[in-house]
Amino acid sequence: MNRLLVFQLRRVGRNKQYLFFTVLLPALFTIFITKIIGGQAGDAAGFQDLAASVMVSMMAYGALGAALGATIRISFDRASGWLRQLRITPVPQTQVVAVDVAVGALLALPSLVVVALVGRFVNGVQLGLGTWLTLVAVLWAGSVAFVALGILVGLSLEEKAAGGAIGILGTMLAALGGLWWPVEMFPDAMRALARFMPSYWYAEVGRDVVAGSSTVLPVLALAGFTALFGVLAVLVGTRRPLHAVSG
Amino acid sequence: MPGTPALDVSGLTVRYGDTVAVDELDLTIPTGQTVALLGPNGAGKSTVVNAVLGLLAPAAGAVRVLGRTPREAVRAGSVGAMLQHGGLPSEARVGEVLDLVRRSFPTRWPLEDLVVTAGIDGLLGRPVEALSGGQRQRVLLALALAGAPPLLLLDEPTSAMDVEGRRAFWTTMRGLAERGHTVVFATHHLDEADAVADRVVVVAGGRLVADGSSAQVKAGIVGRTISFTAAPDRRLDGLPAVTGLTRQGTTVTLRTADADVTLRALLADGGLPDLEVRGATLEDAVLSLISTGTDAPIGVAR
Repeated sequence: MNRLLVFQLRRVGRNKQYLFFTVLLPALFTIFITKIIGGQAGDAAGFQDLAASVMVSMMAYGALGAALGATIRISFDRASGWLRQLRITPVPQTQVVAVDVAVGALLALPSLVVVALVGRFVNGVQLGLGTWLTLVAVLWAGSVAFVALGILVGLSLEEKAAGGAIGILGTMLAALGGLWWPVEMFPDAMRALARFMPSYWYAEVGRDVVAGSSTVLPVLALAGFTALFGVLAVLVGTRRPLHAVSG
Repeated sequence: MPGTPALDVSGLTVRYGDTVAVDELDLTIPTGQTVALLGPNGAGKSTVVNAVLGLLAPAAGAVRVLGRTPREAVRAGSVGAMLQHGGLPSEARVGEVLDLVRRSFPTRWPLEDLVVTAGIDGLLGRPVEALSGGQRQRVLLALALAGAPPLLLLDEPTSAMDVEGRRAFWTTMRGLAERGHTVVFATHHLDEADAVADRVVVVAGGRLVADGSSAQVKAGIVGRTISFTAAPDRRLDGLPAVTGLTRQGTTVTLRTADADVTLRALLADGGLPDLEVRGATLEDAVLSLISTGTDAPIGVAR
């Protein structure tokens, strides 16, 4: 395996916050939210819908937080001078970015799997094996939108702003995209706003997989966001090379 | 290739927006030399270093490291550097960082010898965050040496070191020079240039203003600086022993090879309000080198 990838994974592994915010917290939310609002479900089928929906939201929340957290950190590596240091080794700059993309994508997976397991074995969400696998696979693939967003933010912002952005962006995307409260509970204006959030479409992909309905619209929307973030990241990266000194 | 210089810079011009940081600079450094790139802050030393490493693109001119372009030279491990704005990654151990960097090079400095040479014995298991300033610099030196580069570039390497650390560092550098490495270091400390380099290149305003052995450059710098306040119409030409003169408003600064003679002549000619006499600093020397307006650098070109 690529040495830089192993190196980066080892660094992230030392970060305890990652485990807490992107795996443990979404898992606990999945249990609590389902317990609190589960009583509103009239019957077993209603509870199934509700529990599945909460689970999908929390899978999305955990995965997007992990993807953002892992990639925005590129800003810290710029600020410390590490990216500049790497620039005077034979390691190509494209590999540096590619590895961070890979790390962001890899880190999204544990959140997805753990929350899915909690949904299945704690909350009793019943889905076919194929649906489970599709759900995790599709949400994993969709996390690339937030990997792209994280790289864009990490390349654009200075260290302090980037540190703040990890929490703020994750919270904003979750709250406004309807991951913490279903958009059906939103006032009209906020419901309209949710449609401009990549997080909304991300969760929609998962909900459509669970419901067995067509995922074409949310997949297209999410792909659009991914392309937008990706293009912007490339533009920012070309204007301001990785080795540029911050400040 | 025998005869290929370790570093060959010709007509190098670097601009930051409208500011010219390096102005048509020529510099050839044969292999095996230890060269100090001396100059005040903002002289363009770091810009030269960064251009040699390919960290910035010159507006004009060419840089060759052992006959290679900067990018090729970095990839081939021909050049290693301690950068002014280089750094170590968080949440990593020294050994991991060193291993990653060392293994990225086609040729590698043997690890045990690298640890001893850079003086990082016992630090490999240490988290980067737990390093002192001096230890950090030594780790950065180890990274610079990791690819066994024939040319070593050091951009103000001792700025974070105490006196003891500096002495040990320059001892290491002398050892490297004896092993045949070409060492080029940027500094604004005259004493460092004097003690370590066998050639001193003075850079000011992005230009090369002096180039020669340490003794030759110092000869151009010895003397004293006399400053005082004078009316703009006071005539100051024809003063004995004066080697340089600058006027900033009513403040006159003279450089003189013989302060005694110059002062006598000045006093015979009138008063000297706000008189100050001091030994010439590097800044003074550089200022005088510029103010004498010589386009041709003083000293001996090699």
